[in-house]
Amino acid sequence: MAVRRGLLALGIAAALAAWIFAFLQLWQTSVPGDLALPGLDPTRYFSQEDLDRASSYQAFLRVDVLLALLAQLAALGIYAVKGPGFVRESAAGRIGTGMLLGMLGLAFVWLSQLPFGLAELWWERRHDVSSLGYVSWIVNDFLAAGGEFLFISLAMLIVMALAGVWRRAWWIAAAPALVAVLLAFAFVQPYLIPDQHPVRNPMIAQDAEGLASAEGIPGTTVRVQETHNLGGSPNAEAAGFGPSRRVILWDTLLKRFPRPEVRVVLAHEFAHLSRDHLWKQFGFMALLALPIALVVALATVRRGGLYDPASVPLAIFVVAVLLFVSLPLQTAFTRRLEAEADWVALNTTHQPEAMTGLFRRLGRLSLAQPDPPGWDEFLFGDHPSVIKRIEMANAWRERNPGR
Amino acid sequence: MFFRLILVIPHLIVLAIFGLLAFAIAFISWFAILFTGRAVGHGMQARYLRYWTHVYSYVLLAANPYPGFEGEPGSYPIDAEVPPPERQNKWKTGFRFVLVIPAWLLAGALGVSGTASWYSSYYSTYGVVTTVALLGWFAILARKQMPRGLRDLAVYCLSYGLQFWAYVLLVTDRYPDSDPLTRDYGKAPVSDHPVRISEDDDLRRSRLTVFFRLLLALPHIVWLTLWGIAVVFTVIANWFVTLFAGRTADALHRFNGAYVRYLTHVSAYVDLVANPFPGFTGKPGTYPIDLQIAPPERQNRWKTGFRIILAIPALLLAGAIGATLGLVAVFAWFVGLFTAKMPVGLRNLGVFAVRYQAQTYAYFWLLTDSYPFSGPSLERLAPAPAQVPEPA
Repeated sequence: MAVRRGLLALGIAAALAAWIFAFLQLWQTSVPGDLALPGLDPTRYFSQEDLDRASSYQAFLRVDVLLALLAQLAALGIYAVKGPGFVRESAAGRIGTGMLLGMLGLAFVWLSQLPFGLAELWWERRHDVSSLGYVSWIVNDFLAAGGEFLFISLAMLIVMALAGVWRRAWWIAAAPALVAVLLAFAFVQPYLIPDQHPVRNPMIAQDAEGLASAEGIPGTTVRVQETHNLGGSPNAEAAGFGPSRRVILWDTLLKRFPRPEVRVVLAHEFAHLSRDHLWKQFGFMALLALPIALVVALATVRRGGLYDPASVPLAIFVVAVLLFVSLPLQTAFTRRLEAEADWVALNTTHQPEAMTGLFRRLGRLSLAQPDPPGWDEFLFGDHPSVIKRIEMANAWRERNPGR
Repeated sequence: MFFRLILVIPHLIVLAIFGLLAFAIAFISWFAILFTGRAVGHGMQARYLRYWTHVYSYVLLAANPYPGFEGEPGSYPIDAEVPPPERQNKWKTGFRFVLVIPAWLLAGALGVSGTASWYSSYYSTYGVVTTVALLGWFAILARKQMPRGLRDLAVYCLSYGLQFWAYVLLVTDRYPDSDPLTRDYGKAPVSDHPVRISEDDDLRRSRLTVFFRLLLALPHIVWLTLWGIAVVFTVIANWFVTLFAGRTADALHRFNGAYVRYLTHVSAYVDLVANPFPGFTGKPGTYPIDLQIAPPERQNRWKTGFRIILAIPALLLAGAIGATLGLVAVFAWFVGLFTAKMPVGLRNLGVFAVRYQAQTYAYFWLLTDSYPFSGPSLERLAPAPAQVPEPA
């Protein structure tokens, strides 16, 4: 008995050590460890009027997001209690009923988020950050929820099928299986983004080709997405992997930003691809999914485990709570990846002034607070703050005075 | 018969003039009801409605004799029963223009609103009854007889149209009843159709699942599509088997039958004809709106060989009925959201539509060589016995 316990303890310790080792590997970036950010005063880059406007704008959004999070947890808490009653709305057997209850959990979330989403839109419209209509927003948001409904159906199918085979140990196989599903979605996602076309501006196309080669990923696809009808700030993203890998620039970015700043955006997005940030994200997700799945398995034992569809509402609530608790870790991780992409972009373009100009312009357009409160960055900051990004540009210039 | 559209021209002229008069009377009636609670010119309106029924029954081939011009009661095989004058609710009268909109849409989809509504135009159909008349015209030329199913469906549409116009012209304040089971179709049809529907729905609807019904159906739509790809090949294989062996292969029949049953379950769920979330396997006996499919039987080789062509009329009608089913779903969505119930009339109309589509698919995909029965009268027969689940 004692030997068995000892072996178990050893196994747990080994698993924990492996987890920590893997996490530390993922945590590494190419940003120099001794890089000291100069600590700039935002008033050097933004007028006091801009800062006041951004501060008041973001204060409302912060309250809105916090309330939305609390409402979501409350809605899922209620659903955890009342949800099993929805079993009678199904004629679909064990797994199908689990899928239904999973989707209804998302339905609860959607309803709980609706007022906060509308309040956010109202605030954005008031500040000319968005021009989207309320009805369009609701319809778009409702339809966009379709992807989430499909994902949770698939997740429930996998989890409940595994729970049918391994009543207690399903979580070990479920975590990698779910990450594999997410990977499949990530692969397909770039093909599903509407209104894409190749870069029509020959100079930007030439820049993209040069920058991709400089970062060691020649021939990477670059597409422009027509988003001018959607409102919102200009943006860009790196998406997909393998044949679906691409950088997508919003047309609003190309129309409103000068060429050197677009070059910085391109270099930043290429860096996400060249530094395998997507794979790192999925590695991180896998690391997070494993303990979350274990806690879900333990939390639902009294309701029959995830073999029983009636325990799905509780499982969703537990997942939501754990994701909320781990939010600072998630945002810190993505912040590091974004900082690395900025650093690589600086090393590729050698244009710190362009980067400074880019973030000043972006900050003004999106009314981002350059130096938000620490707790806000801790909880929600999935990108470095505007002032930290400008500080990084300055730090790069100090390290590379001749360039 | 061949010249029916030409023969009916005098009636259409008289009906148009009569219609203008009926609208003028309705306009005066609107004020009269608002002040006194009673309509004026009831006798005239009743005569117009009867005449409308006679003429449309004739032109849509639901009846054969040339109608008279007087709209006399009892003078035509398909007649209108118009309620006697009665007190009418002033609120319902005052807001009649708004209240009539759902009925107008449904009447448009059925093809009896007198105008092609935006809804039916969207679906590129001129309504169910127009499709019925077109198909009936060919059938009568070939067989000298209007098929019973088409006749019954025309009667249902005309009956709804009559109620709709009675409501519009302020003859009554009773809302048009969409229930196909409340109509008198005469003698019950003899049907031993191998594909039958059974209904065991309690009309209760969950507001939450009604609101999110389309999103909740997404996994089913994805699965239907994937399964459907396999069915394309099994149907082709079954076509060859049936052509050579004279009957379908058991395994293919089971596979395709399960798909049609699953399609029926999902269709009933999406269109709010039933409440529970369906299973993914099309297993018999698992859903309130269920399909009983008889085992494989001998099929006529000629009918099998030319199935694609033979199925065209049924597919046309299934398209028109499908547009009506879509409308049923939209109405049921609003009603279900507010009352957590499905109106029985809409549910029964939905069951009929789902059943006709299922029989059409079953015919097209070679589960049977019995032609789909288009009459809503079939649902009045005793429900099909619950089927013993097939072995897995």
